[in-house]
Amino acid sequence: MITMYDTLKAKKIAEERALDPTDQEMIVKAIDDGIETAWDRLASQQPQCGFGQLGVCCNRCTMGPCRIEPFGKKPDRGVCGATADLIVARNMLDDLATGAAAHSDHGREILEVLLETAEGKSQGYEITDEEKLHLIAKEYGITTEGRSKNEIAEGVARGMLEEYGTLKNRIQLLERAPEKTKKIWKDAGIWPRGVDREIVEAMHRIHMGVGADYLNILLHAMRTSLSDGWGGSMMATECSDILFGTPTPVESWANLAVLSKDMVNVVLHGHNPVLSEMIVKAAEDPELKKLAEKNGAKGINLVGMCCTGNELLMRHGIPIAGNMLDQELAIATGSVEVMVIDYQCIFPSITHTAGCYHTKVISTSNKSKVQGAEYHEFQPRTGLETAKKIIRIAIENFPNRDQARVRIPAKPMKLMAGFSEEAIRKALGGTYKPLIDAIVAGKIKGAVGIVGCNNPKIKHDYGHITLARELIKRNILVVETGCAAIASGKAGLLLPEAADQAGDGLKAVCNSLGIPPVLHMGSCVDCSRILVLAANIAKELGVGIEDLPLGGAAPEWYSQKAVSIGTYFVSSGVYTVLGVPPKIFGSQNVIDLLTVKLKDVVNATFAVEPDPVKAADLLEAEIDRKRAALGI
Amino acid sequence: MKTVFVRPELCIGCRHCEIACAIEHSESKTLFDAILEEPVSKPRIFVEPVIDYLSFPNKCRHCDPAPCMQVCPTEALFRDKETGIVAINYLRCIACGMCAIACPFGIIRFEKVKQTGNDREVNAKCDNCISRQKEGNIPACAEACKTGALEFGDVNDLIRVSRKDFSMRIIKSQGTDVEVPKIPDNIRAFRAIMKAIAETGEKVV
Repeated sequence: MITMYDTLKAKKIAEERALDPTDQEMIVKAIDDGIETAWDRLASQQPQCGFGQLGVCCNRCTMGPCRIEPFGKKPDRGVCGATADLIVARNMLDDLATGAAAHSDHGREILEVLLETAEGKSQGYEITDEEKLHLIAKEYGITTEGRSKNEIAEGVARGMLEEYGTLKNRIQLLERAPEKTKKIWKDAGIWPRGVDREIVEAMHRIHMGVGADYLNILLHAMRTSLSDGWGGSMMATECSDILFGTPTPVESWANLAVLSKDMVNVVLHGHNPVLSEMIVKAAEDPELKKLAEKNGAKGINLVGMCCTGNELLMRHGIPIAGNMLDQELAIATGSVEVMVIDYQCIFPSITHTAGCYHTKVISTSNKSKVQGAEYHEFQPRTGLETAKKIIRIAIENFPNRDQARVRIPAKPMKLMAGFSEEAIRKALGGTYKPLIDAIVAGKIKGAVGIVGCNNPKIKHDYGHITLARELIKRNILVVETGCAAIASGKAGLLLPEAADQAGDGLKAVCNSLGIPPVLHMGSCVDCSRILVLAANIAKELGVGIEDLPLGGAAPEWYSQKAVSIGTYFVSSGVYTVLGVPPKIFGSQNVIDLLTVKLKDVVNATFAVEPDPVKAADLLEAEIDRKRAALGI
Repeated sequence: MKTVFVRPELCIGCRHCEIACAIEHSESKTLFDAILEEPVSKPRIFVEPVIDYLSFPNKCRHCDPAPCMQVCPTEALFRDKETGIVAINYLRCIACGMCAIACPFGIIRFEKVKQTGNDREVNAKCDNCISRQKEGNIPACAEACKTGALEFGDVNDLIRVSRKDFSMRIIKSQGTDVEVPKIPDNIRAFRAIMKAIAETGEKVV
């Protein structure tokens, strides 16, 4: 931990750590306050173990732990006999299955809330997007005629929940993919048979003495990733839309300046919107508003963080305080009464950070209890009540705020979000034809999905923003989710005016439609929206997704969920550039497979390039390759 | 002269050597007990990170003449005649810090050690595993190192390998008959990426 009062030195450190000036300001405050952050912990972890970084450490069984000597000497096998290739592949499948499980289990909870709502057992929830409900019911072959929305919703929820452990060996939403892409999956043997099944089978396959062929293990990794992207994640997206509304373009604000000096600040952090949606409702309660005033506050200020924040921003325009590396900085403003956490990407040390201020951390899921947090379990049946209770705790904590220790950056950045696949289609006039025409005419060269996390190994937001700016300059449309989208919000790239930074072709298209050159498509499960977008364009053209001039990038990724997202992008035919190396460099064979040979299977590969300008070169070259193949 | 020779290009920063060192200098000499001992045994070798995430295992070089020995006023530091190791008598150390001032490598740390039987912090530098060596074993750090970054042996033999490899490369350019393994392509690629990340982080936009 760095403890110092040399402001100039602290400023220099802040400039090295983060791109955004408001983040830099709060990093200086965190240093002044003696708050330990992820950057300090990364420094104290140096040097990090090379066996682990290369993926050649295996700690699965008690004959080990084993590691392979990476320079070609002994030991070249684990005690069980596993080679570097096998250990790397098993580790990657393990990481990927963890990520797929995180997404799909999030999806399961959304479906459970949908089911309980349909059965009239939930509190505060309702079917909001009936149009989408009907469309999905049709996909699932559920009768809609003469049935109430709750009856249809029950059918949809049960139909999807059944696919987690289905015996029918297929997931309905995969049928949305173009025929050509589906054939590739079937031919390669990576067609997923169920949501949970692939994850369970992954766990089986990495046990000692099961899979010993790295190629076969990685094919299963691809299958597992498809069960996430086209399964659990897509179900999470679609049913969140049914419950809470499909996003439409909305204006709001981003960065830590959205915290308020004189209102009760509640930060909603995590990934699952089910409880936060109720908190949004609860914050409108006149009695609670009155209580806030009674406690000396000018009102209740809800702000988002990470993907829970993205979900609320997309649907309600709730301002977003920041992405993953902002969670400690938000608390360091000294202005947060309550940070509500659901799950995923919440630093286990968050209560330790909160302990330095008056901030209370409230955990709400029995899957993610945190020591030092107050626990108020979320249940659909009591959702609204729990939400009100949490708001009350925040209000009653407001008088404990030490205004002398509060510092909030001055200016939030304006942004436009809410670009669901449906909203993009609508902005285009109901059909993708205008977009396809612009691509064929070369006004827009192609599109890249920039997704994924923050990682203190990469200067905060630098990877995301530099890449996005480079791409739009080259007339490549950018669609984003997750931490990447929040980064663009902070940097002002989610504004129609940002089209001025784009090349002439893209600028003209954006200006005529009144849209930003970087489109915020949602949370990380909403990477499924990108898949649907790509599938719909491919189907309109009569080609596969792998034929489209598309790319993917995760410039600052850290999480196992990103391993799954990257892999379902590539498996779906989208070339994907990673800014941080995955733990595969201990095996030349695995590198060759993922960066070269996969092209022959799915017409897409991974690449690793930390320099975002060079990453843009790679993506542009791939887009050119696919344009040439399409003859445009 | 026998020494722990460092090949920094083979160090991958796993810190096995640090753990093995701490265990060797503990009371119990077993991992699971060592972590519970009071005072807890600390490593005497330091795997130092470098900016592009390369690392260097830094430890006592057992110099001869040894600057630390020369300035030690109590003769707590002494040379073991049989092995040439710069050894230490903890009970004689007065923690004046002169040895640390004189050490060209900055590897001297003052820690509580079991031998003093009290709370004093004394020079707890690397003793080249003198007791292991007297039993015919190599130092714990070199034994723990799986990549060959730390090798124990006669210094001239170890240098000879590097010298011969260099000569071979001069004559046969990309020759294959080298004794120190060439860095494999995958590791080279990984290090290039880590270097790029380190450099990307330094850029101020």
